[in-house]
Amino acid sequence: MSITRRQFIKRTGVAAAGALVVPNVWRHPFVRRAFAETIGDRFFISLFLDGGNDGLNTVVPVSDGSMGTLRTFYEGLRTTGAGGLQLSPTVLNPYSIGNDNNPNLPMATPRTHTPLAVHPGLAGLKTLYDLGKVAVIQGCGYPDYSLSHDTSRKTWQTATLAASGPGWVGRYLESAGYTGNDIPALDIDSEIAADFQQGTTSVIAVDDLENFIFPYDGDYSDDDAAKRTAFAALYAQAASSVQAARHSIGSAGAATLGATDNYPGLNDLYNNDRPSWVAQYNTLDRSTGYGLREIAKVIYGIQNGVSGINARHFQLNNGGYDTHSNQGAETGAHFDLHQELGNAIELFYNDIANMAAGLENKVLIIVWSEFSRRPEQNDSGTDHGSQGPMFVIGGGVNGGVYGSHPNIDPAVAGDDGNTAYSQDPTNPYRSTDIRDVYGTILKHWLNMGEPTIFNPMAPVLTLDSGDPNLYWTAHNFDLGFV
Amino acid sequence: MGDQNTSLDESSARHLLRRTGFGAPAANVAAFTGLTRGAAADQLLNFTPAKFKPRGVARYDDSRAEFRAHNSWVKYMITTKLQLQEKLVLFWHDHFANNNDKVGDHSRMSDQNKLFRQFCKGNFKDFVKAVNKDGAMMEFLDTVRNFKDEPNENYARELQELFTLGVKDLSGSPNYAQEDIVQIARAFSGWAWDNKPKAHFNDYDHDYATDFPGRGAKVIYQTHGQFGAAGRDFTQPAGEGAAEIDQVIDIIFQHRDSDAKNTVARYIAAKLLEYFAHPLPAYPAKASIVDGVVSRSGFGASFDIGALVREILVDDFFYETGVGVPFGPTTPKSVKWPIDYVVSTLRLLKMRPKGGDAYINGGSYHALQDQLKAMGQQLFEPPSVFGWNWELSWMSSATLLARCGFARDLISARGSGRFNFHPEKLIDLGLTQPTDIVQAVTDLLGVTDQLTATEITKLVEYLGAGPIDLHDYDTRNRKLNGLFGLVLQSPAYQLH
Repeated sequence: MSITRRQFIKRTGVAAAGALVVPNVWRHPFVRRAFAETIGDRFFISLFLDGGNDGLNTVVPVSDGSMGTLRTFYEGLRTTGAGGLQLSPTVLNPYSIGNDNNPNLPMATPRTHTPLAVHPGLAGLKTLYDLGKVAVIQGCGYPDYSLSHDTSRKTWQTATLAASGPGWVGRYLESAGYTGNDIPALDIDSEIAADFQQGTTSVIAVDDLENFIFPYDGDYSDDDAAKRTAFAALYAQAASSVQAARHSIGSAGAATLGATDNYPGLNDLYNNDRPSWVAQYNTLDRSTGYGLREIAKVIYGIQNGVSGINARHFQLNNGGYDTHSNQGAETGAHFDLHQELGNAIELFYNDIANMAAGLENKVLIIVWSEFSRRPEQNDSGTDHGSQGPMFVIGGGVNGGVYGSHPNIDPAVAGDDGNTAYSQDPTNPYRSTDIRDVYGTILKHWLNMGEPTIFNPMAPVLTLDSGDPNLYWTAHNFDLGFV
Repeated sequence: MGDQNTSLDESSARHLLRRTGFGAPAANVAAFTGLTRGAAADQLLNFTPAKFKPRGVARYDDSRAEFRAHNSWVKYMITTKLQLQEKLVLFWHDHFANNNDKVGDHSRMSDQNKLFRQFCKGNFKDFVKAVNKDGAMMEFLDTVRNFKDEPNENYARELQELFTLGVKDLSGSPNYAQEDIVQIARAFSGWAWDNKPKAHFNDYDHDYATDFPGRGAKVIYQTHGQFGAAGRDFTQPAGEGAAEIDQVIDIIFQHRDSDAKNTVARYIAAKLLEYFAHPLPAYPAKASIVDGVVSRSGFGASFDIGALVREILVDDFFYETGVGVPFGPTTPKSVKWPIDYVVSTLRLLKMRPKGGDAYINGGSYHALQDQLKAMGQQLFEPPSVFGWNWELSWMSSATLLARCGFARDLISARGSGRFNFHPEKLIDLGLTQPTDIVQAVTDLLGVTDQLTATEITKLVEYLGAGPIDLHDYDTRNRKLNGLFGLVLQSPAYQLH
């Protein structure tokens, strides 16, 4: 039931609870250094599209191509006229991204050779795609998919079919050896997302850096130091408590107080040095651009030698994708969401690239949503669906289309009208399991070897058991996009 | 172990009042100390729901529209004697979580809020039937866009997943299949919201079985809910058409877990237990606690919310949460909701927000709505149909600083009037010894038994060596106000 996610302890701090989760050997400093399977001087950003982005109107067949009839099916499922969601070839042509016959993909999967385009709202992303900086990964999903927002989101976040436990990034942070008040990760939000939750280190949540300051009584600033001492002592006391909630709040407060010394300065530094970029972010609509701007401030600070900042992993999200109604086609709600996303990512990429030569090669963004939507539209929107596309963006990305478009042939749709998950290597519509995407990122970006990813003492990812065509029983962490 | 005949000591009375209202003023604690748990619960539940409705308006061009609804409700929470009523309305606002971001009409949100109040301790089955036809809900989950040619499953799914059954029962078995969602969506097709305003059934948009033979029989739960292979036909007993949505609810309320217990009763009881007390343990320990309050209250047959809440408020599970120091590894605690943090603090400090924007400390940028938003809980704007994330999800760096900022704004609100802070009206300024001053403040804020000896020592050390002259303006404002701020910012005060 949905309450279980609420009970989950998002982060605890230094010693007590962490010791219950991870064997002590991992915490030994020499062991930590010996492994050194960390992100190094790179950055990782997870951008979540909350609500279930309609992948079938995000990456769209422009025509049927040489094999299969995906465009024909699409036109049967997405209508024209009032409430219709269909994107015409004329609208799509400027946003073509080639077909799904990517020769780099190591899987020997047969291909449909369907010409594809991205939604016209994603013009900003398309610009980066043309530079070879965007990987479009098709058909990302997991076995026995859930149509519940909550269950499916938790499955993506935890990378477990049970949809429970620490997040997959959280488990990576633990296995990478981060502890205590390292603060290796930052959530641009008012709470820590489940993919970053874990038990050994401090992840902080920051709405905006400018206001990430400890509030003192300005009329009696001569007492600030005394208040700070008392506050720190109260939170240190709570952090040492064996009672779980006190321990968690105590360590959150201790990490927060420390971070308020370091992080607000990043805001001033960036705003002072990069006013023209600030102005560009200010022209963007809604939250994605503002969130990425805050991340840009952190990266800029690190790049310029600000000390005490260890955040290398970031999370942000944007809502509004649950388009049961009034979704729109080349204009409307879905267009607006995509335009916000594409423009924000393009600006952020250019900002990073402008900070220092080659810096864009050290930043990786993944864009995901908890599910795609039903192939057949309803009155003016779409109901919950199964697998959908992911985007991976960065200077170090091998751009192109990866994986297969879902088979939207109504004749083979499941009882719920959705496309089926498949790991059958002979299936031209084979799914891309999200664990292979995560594993590829872990191995090729976060620098974690497969033995550590699968370490039986503290696995970051765990293979399913069952029918190899229906479950993720064999891994491929060399998908090639990074 | 206790039961309804157990007498409340002072600490238990404070816990009961803190959880069934916003803060526990000393006078109320004294009045409840010595009552039995049962008598205390009966007294708290002995009210007729008020007809209060927040002042939300429909006008889209009114920039104050969102303030009106929000602030009128917050002010009502601060002033009403029906504290438990408002705690229940908040629960239902989170349970049937709609936000104005999608609904786009504060008059509907306010009407819904009034509905929550009307049913807050009433019959849950009747409540759900009323929610089916609630204007905000019909807009939020797209009932108004569910037509026979273009079915929309949004409400049919969340009705089961979030409002009545849950995805899985307590032992982890699924409660429904996708086919059940599809069929229930048919029942809700054709319902619209007209300008009267009320729910209205449009026959021509309703999905009749003869219209779409390919969609199968209007039968649900052939594979779940212990109804047998035949499932249940929701066109019975009153036939197809407008009666279907009530008949769907009647069937849902007969849904049984794999061990034959009523699913709705368990689902709601578990959520209310966690709301008033703390998170439940894992199954099967969870089932025994839930089943205890369901069976003693008769909720599985009567669906009388008031009776269920009474049994929760006399249960040991509820009183375990309130214990004082020392805390062990298994001591349960619960994080205060931001709205609870704000309203209870204002009540304990005898402060009131000022003006239509409901602000404190001198400017509309200190509007309570903004403060609550920064803490993660803007009323009428739960983030999604799942409502807010409870417990430690309330506490991150960002939200913790927002709470600290609110506390700072309170204690630095200097001036006349009740929207400013007046410690001289709260404690005796004749106190001179740091230990006495600390105790006076922690007593007033109800956390004396929640602070460890070391934490109290740290607060005493903050004040410095005595004697302290609190009559001196600067000393008082620097140190006494500072002490209030520290206690409000302390880990102990975030929990209850």
